Amino acid sequence: MGLFARAIEEAGIPTITLSSALDITSLVKPPRAVFVNFPLGHQAGRPFDPEGQTRIILDALHLLETATTPGTIVQLQYKWDENDPLDSWEDEEMLHPSVV
Amino acid sequence: MAPVAYIEQVRRMFPNDPPYQWTVNTKSPWVPMTKSVRDCRIALISSGGIYHRTQAPFDSVKNDLTFREIPKEVDMAELQVSHYSPKAKKVQDLNTIFPLQRLRELEAKEVIAALASPAFTFMGRIFTRTRLQKEMAPHLIDRLRTMNVDAALLVPV
Repeated sequence: MGLFARAIEEAGIPTITLSSALDITSLVKPPRAVFVNFPLGHQAGRPFDPEGQTRIILDALHLLETATTPGTIVQLQYKWDENDPLDSWEDEEMLHPSVV
Repeated sequence: MAPVAYIEQVRRMFPNDPPYQWTVNTKSPWVPMTKSVRDCRIALISSGGIYHRTQAPFDSVKNDLTFREIPKEVDMAELQVSHYSPKAKKVQDLNTIFPLQRLRELEAKEVIAALASPAFTFMGRIFTRTRLQKEMAPHLIDRLRTMNVDAALLVPV
């Protein structure tokens, strides 16, 4: 997605990209990104959580409006599971990739 | 814990293949925002493989270079998902990959001037970087220019 963001920005249209993979986004360097540390498929929020989804979009729009440094990545602090402050889903994802 | 190391994860999944050549950039392109978000017409772009039931599904294996254009007033219940990942296919609330309802609400509340219509979707799993950059991106940019969008929000899957 970062490649599209870069192409659109090069064409003169400002972009804001949600990021699922901090390592990949850090290499591709879209102009502006918010990293949402949720499992793949949930960068715009948890299912059936309109308030949480809206917060992420508002955070993204805020960065769109205020960022001044190309390649800015803001890491949002929301937890996928508030009862799991250590994000144990990350280990599970490494052991059992959800893309297969 | 640390954010999932997806590059390492991919490496482990395909140990017998040559390492995938991830794009590495040292700089980012940049155009400054010249107006506030509340005055912006914003385009939504998602790589979630979303299509309307009257449209053709995507090729969920790889390298589907096509877009689907989704009118912003669409009934979300009429949208479907083609995706390689079973989890993505089974997504229950499309707003997690295609936050159309949230953006419609923000338009109604005048947080943004407008959600541009249509929104654009395509399939992830595009491994031909050259064709993405030389074919897909120019098409998308032409459409965004025609629609006079002020900014774009991109949501990956």
